Amino acid sequence: MTPPLRRERGLVRPYVVTDGRAHPTRNTLDLVTLVNGTGSRPLTGLSPEKRRVVELCRPGALSLAEVAGHLNLAISVTKVLVSDLIDSGHLTARAPIPRTELPDARILQEVLDGLRSRL
Amino acid sequence: MTRHIPEAVFWCVAAVALAGLVLSLRQYRAAAALRRRLAAAEKTLRGRDAEVRHLVEVRLTALEENHWAGGQPLPGLLDGGLFGTDFARSLQQVVDRFTGAAETARTRADHSAKATLKAAMRALQALANEQQLSISDMQDRHDSPHVLQDLLEIDHANSQFGRRAQAIAVLCGSWPGRQRAASPLIDVVRGATSRIRDYRRVEIHSAADIDVTSRAVEPVVLAVAELLDNAARHSQPNTSVEVNIRSAHNGVSVVIDDAGVGMDSGEIEEAGRRLSGTEDIDINRLGDPPQFGFAVIGVLAARYGFTVSVDSRSPYGGVRAVVFLPKSLLATAGSTVTAPVRGARTPAPGGGTRTATLPTRGTHVLPAAPDTPPAGLLADPAQTVPAGPAALTDTTSPADAPAQDAPDHEDEGSPAAATAGGLPRRRRRTPTEAATAQTAPDPADDEPATATRPAYETATRMGAFARGTRSGRAATADDEGIPQE
Repeated sequence: MTPPLRRERGLVRPYVVTDGRAHPTRNTLDLVTLVNGTGSRPLTGLSPEKRRVVELCRPGALSLAEVAGHLNLAISVTKVLVSDLIDSGHLTARAPIPRTELPDARILQEVLDGLRSRL
Repeated sequence: MTRHIPEAVFWCVAAVALAGLVLSLRQYRAAAALRRRLAAAEKTLRGRDAEVRHLVEVRLTALEENHWAGGQPLPGLLDGGLFGTDFARSLQQVVDRFTGAAETARTRADHSAKATLKAAMRALQALANEQQLSISDMQDRHDSPHVLQDLLEIDHANSQFGRRAQAIAVLCGSWPGRQRAASPLIDVVRGATSRIRDYRRVEIHSAADIDVTSRAVEPVVLAVAELLDNAARHSQPNTSVEVNIRSAHNGVSVVIDDAGVGMDSGEIEEAGRRLSGTEDIDINRLGDPPQFGFAVIGVLAARYGFTVSVDSRSPYGGVRAVVFLPKSLLATAGSTVTAPVRGARTPAPGGGTRTATLPTRGTHVLPAAPDTPPAGLLADPAQTVPAGPAALTDTTSPADAPAQDAPDHEDEGSPAAATAGGLPRRRRRTPTEAATAQTAPDPADDEPATATRPAYETATRMGAFARGTRSGRAATADDEGIPQE
C-alpha cells in the first residue's frame, strides 16, 4: 500500500475543527500573514488541528496559506484556528514583509544628482 | 298319522318364531351398535368440524399475529383426543405449510424491501457525498466568514443526511461506502462526531496514538456515530457526552458515556441482541419510527469483527457504550509511512501544486496524541516523525530549539533535498531569518528589506544603476521615464 499523502479530508468536518464557529476573532489575517510559534505555551488542551498548527509554526514563520495547505483545511477555517491561537498566546502574527518598492524616481534623481556633483 | 300333523306344524311355527326372534334380536343389536357408531361418528365429525373451525379461526389467526408480533406460544389442538390421528397430522401439515408460505412471503417481501431501500439509499448517499465535495470546494473558494458560517451549517446537515442514508443502506446489506486511508483513531472518533446533530456536546479524551486500518475506518466511524447520536439524543442538551479512548492488550476501547435517561434491563437485553449482529434483521420490525441505530451497529460489528456493548454503568447515570476494536483493525500510528519522511514539512518547489506541499501521513501522527508531554513536542518534527513515540525521548528544551535547528537544516540541505517520489524540495525559510524576526519585539514592525542590506551591496546596485542610466542616455536620446537634465 502506498502511504497516503493527504489527510482524509472528508472525515473530520470543518465545523468540528472550529467548534461551529466561522468568524475569526480578528479580521487582520489574510493569506500572506506570517505566523510564528511563541513556544511559551503548553499544548495541552488544544485540539489536534491547533496542536499541529503550533508545531508547524514553532521552528519558524509560515504564511497562513502554507499552514492551511499543510493542514489541508480551507483558508477561512484556518483563520479561525490561527486567530484563536494568537489570542491564547501560542502564535504571533506579522504582516508579510512587503515587496521591496522601487524608490521614487524623484529621490533617485536627487541621489544621482548628488553623486554626480560629488564625482 | 294325521294326528302328528298339527304337532309338526306347531314345531315348525315354533322354530320359525324362534328363528325370527333370534334374528330380530340380532337385528336389534346390530341396529343399536350402528346407532352408537353413527352417534360416535357424528360426534367425531362435529369434533373435527370444530377442530377445523378452531384451526381457521384461532390457530391460523394466532400464527398470523405471531408472525408480526412474535413471542406468544401458539395454541394447539382443541381436542386432545385427536392427537396422533391422521386427521391431526393433516392439520399440522396445513399449519406447517401456512407457516412456510408466510415465512417465504415475509422473506421475499423483506428482500425486496431491502433491495429497494438499498438502491434508494445508495442514490441518496452518492448525492450526499457529491454535495459534500461541492461544499468543501466552496469552503475553499470563499473567504468570507459569513459565507463560511452558512456553509458550515449546510455541511453539518449534509453530513447527518449522509449518515442516515448510509446507515439504512448498510442495514439493507450494502457496504459502508467510501474507502478511506488509514486514519488516527481520534480522527475517526471526531469524524463520527462530525455526523451527529449535537457535535459540540461531545468531549473526546484520548491518549492513544493508534491508527485504524483503511478498511475499518468507515464502519467504525458509522458505528461510533450511531452510538454518539443515541447518547446525545437521549440526554439533556446541557450535558456532555464523554468519549474516552483506552488502550488494551488486545486492542482499543472507545468508551462513550452519556448523562441521559439510561436504559432498563429489558432495553439493554434487546440492545445486546441487536448489537451482537447474530439475529437476522427484519427491517419491517424495527418499530415505528424505525430504530436503525443498534441494528446497523450490529451488522457492522459482525461484518468487520469489532464488538459493541451497551450497559447502564455510566458514571453519570446514563448509558455506557463500549466499542472494542481488536488489533486486526488497528495499526500503530505512523507504521503506514514507508517512505522516508525526513524534512517532510519542507514544501516542494513550485508550491503551487498543492499535493506536493501536503504533509505526508506521518506528519499528522503527533496531533493524535494530545497528552504527550509538551517537551516531547518541542523536538524538531523532522526528528519526531519517522520514529513515532520513540523519538519523543529525543527532546530539546524550548530555549535551544532554534539553536538546534541550524544543524538540522544543514543536514537537510543536500541528502534529503528530495521527496520520496524524487521531487526536489524547496527549503523552508531559514531559522536564522525566523530568529531575527522573533527578536523584533513588535510584530507589526515592517522594516523594508533594504534596511538590512549590506552597505557594499547597496553601493554596487547604485553604481550599476548609475552606469545603466548613463549608457542608456548615451545610446538613445529618448525619455522613457528618465528625466533629462
